[in-house]
Amino acid sequence: MATKYVMGLFKREDQAVAAIGELKASSWPLHRTHSPIPSHKISDALGLKDSRVGWFTLCGGILGFITGFALAIFTSLRWELIVSGKPVVAVVPFIIVGFEFTILFAIFGNLIGMLVLSRLPRMENLEHYDPRCSGEHFGILSSSSDEDREGLLALFARNGGEARVFE
Amino acid sequence: MQPDTENIAMDTRKSFWLLSAALVAIGFGTFAYGIASGHPERAWQAYLINFLLWSAIAQGAVLFSALMTTTRARWSGPLSGLSEAFAGFFPVSFILFLVLFFGSSHVFPWSHGQDLHGKEIWLNVPFVFTRNFVGLLLLYGFGFTYLYYAMLQKEISPDGSGPIRSIFNRLQQNRPQDPEKIKKRKGLFGILYLLAFALVLSLIGYDLVMAMDPHWISTLFGAYTFVKAIYIGLGGLIILAAVMHLNPRTDFRLSDSHFHDIGKLFFAFCLVWADFFYVQLVVIWYGNIPEETAYVIERTMMVPWRYLAWVTFAVSFVLPFFILLNRKIKTMPQFMLVICSVVIIGIWLEHLLLIGPPLSHATLQLPLGISDALISLGFLGLMLASLRFAFTQFPELAHAEKREVR
Repeated sequence: MATKYVMGLFKREDQAVAAIGELKASSWPLHRTHSPIPSHKISDALGLKDSRVGWFTLCGGILGFITGFALAIFTSLRWELIVSGKPVVAVVPFIIVGFEFTILFAIFGNLIGMLVLSRLPRMENLEHYDPRCSGEHFGILSSSSDEDREGLLALFARNGGEARVFE
Repeated sequence: MQPDTENIAMDTRKSFWLLSAALVAIGFGTFAYGIASGHPERAWQAYLINFLLWSAIAQGAVLFSALMTTTRARWSGPLSGLSEAFAGFFPVSFILFLVLFFGSSHVFPWSHGQDLHGKEIWLNVPFVFTRNFVGLLLLYGFGFTYLYYAMLQKEISPDGSGPIRSIFNRLQQNRPQDPEKIKKRKGLFGILYLLAFALVLSLIGYDLVMAMDPHWISTLFGAYTFVKAIYIGLGGLIILAAVMHLNPRTDFRLSDSHFHDIGKLFFAFCLVWADFFYVQLVVIWYGNIPEETAYVIERTMMVPWRYLAWVTFAVSFVLPFFILLNRKIKTMPQFMLVICSVVIIGIWLEHLLLIGPPLSHATLQLPLGISDALISLGFLGLMLASLRFAFTQFPELAHAEKREVR
C-alpha cells in the first residue's frame, strides 16, 4: 500500500490537454506539467491565473522613476555649482534621468518577478523527472496508491500517451 | 417585414444627412456671422484650428492603412477598410484650404508688413500658398492612387451606383486585373503616401503654425506636427470603429483583440507625441536663447495661456497615459470612445495654444468662446458627411476583408 508517482508522457499538445482535463475531473492529483513549448491551451486546461509579473514591473518602474530623480538631485546638490544660469535642481533635464531609470528598473523588476514567480534558479534536480520532458514530450505528473494505479495508467493510455511509474 | 426595415433604414439615412447638414449649417452660419461682425480674426482663428485638426485626423487615419500595407501587417483586418474611408474628407480638406486664402490677412499675421529680416523670400503669401497647395495636391493624389489600388485588391464587384463608384467601376473594367501588379502598385503608392505625409505635414506645420511667430524656429516642429497627426488620426479611427461596433444597425464588429491592438498603438503615439514635445522643450531650455524661449514663456508662464498649457498637457498626455496603462480599458469600445474624444479636444486646445498668442496680442482673456465650439461642430458635420459618403459609395469598406490577396 505505497503511493507512487506516475508520469504520463505525450507527443502531442491536444493529447496532453485532454489528459489534463480528465485528470482534473478525477480523484488523482495533478502535481506538475512539463511542456516543451509555451502553450495557451495547456495553461487554459490547467486553469492558471494571469501572471503577476506585471506588478513587479510596475513597482520597478515607479521605484526607478523616484530613484532617477533622487540620484540626479542628490548628485547636483553634492556639487552645488550654477552652470550657465541654470538652477542647481533643474526639473527639465532630470526627466531624462528619471525616464531612463524608470525603464531600467522596470526591466529589473520584470526579471526579478519572473525568477521569483517561477522559483528560479533551482540548484537541485527535480524529483520524479523524465529526461524526455527536456526533449519533445509533454509530461504530466500524478500519483496513485497501488490499488487504483491501473485506472491512472489506463487514463494516460486512453489519451494516447505512455506512462512511467517512478519506483 | 422587408419594406418596413427598408423604410427604417431609409429614415435613419435621411436623418443622418439632416443631422450633418444641420451641423454644417450651424458651423458655417457662426463662421459667417463672425466674419461679418466686429471680430473676423476670431472666426478665422477657429477656422484655421479646425482645418488643421480635421485634416490631420483624416490624413493620419488613412496613414494607418498605408502603414499596414508597407509593414505587411495582417493584424489590422477590418480596421484598414475603416481607415481608408477617412479619405472621403480629403477633397473637403482641400477646398477648406483654398478658402483659407480669403482669410490670409488674418491667418498670416506676418503679412502685415513687419520686418521679417530676410525671411520675406520664404514667407510671402503667394509662395506659401502655392507650395502648400502643391503639397496637399501631392499628398491627396498619392492617397487616392493608393486607395484605388487598395480597392482593386479587394476585388469588389463592379456594380453599385453613385458618382465615385461608377468612375471606379469604369476604371476597373478598363484595367487588366493582374493581382501581382496591383499588389506592387499598392505597396509603391503606400510608401509614396507615407513620404508625402511626413514632408507635407511638416510643411504645413512650418508654414501655417510655426510661422505665425515668424521670428521663432524649432527644427523639430515639422516632425512634431506629423506625429501629432498620426496620434489624432488613430484616435479618430478608434472612435469610428467604436461607434460602428456599438451601433446595432451596422453589421461591423471587431474582436477584443483588435481594440486592444489599436489601443496599444494609440497609447504608443501618445508617448511619441509627448516625447516630441519634450525633445523640443529640452533643446530650447538648454540653449536659453531669448528668441526661442520667448515662445515657450509666453505659452507656459503668462496669463492666460499658461492655464491652457496645463489643461492641454493633462488632457492629451497625462490622462490618456495613466488610463491606457490598463489593458482592459483598451478592449472596451465605450471607454476608448470617450478617451479618444477627450484627446482630440485636447489637441484642439493645443492648436489654440500654438496659434492663439500671435493672433491676439497682450490679451488677458483666453480667446475661446461658444462660437469656437459651434464652428468646430460645423467641421464635425463635414467629417460625418464625408465618412458617410465614403461608406455609401464603397460599402465594402465597412466589412471584414473576405478575400485578402497576398
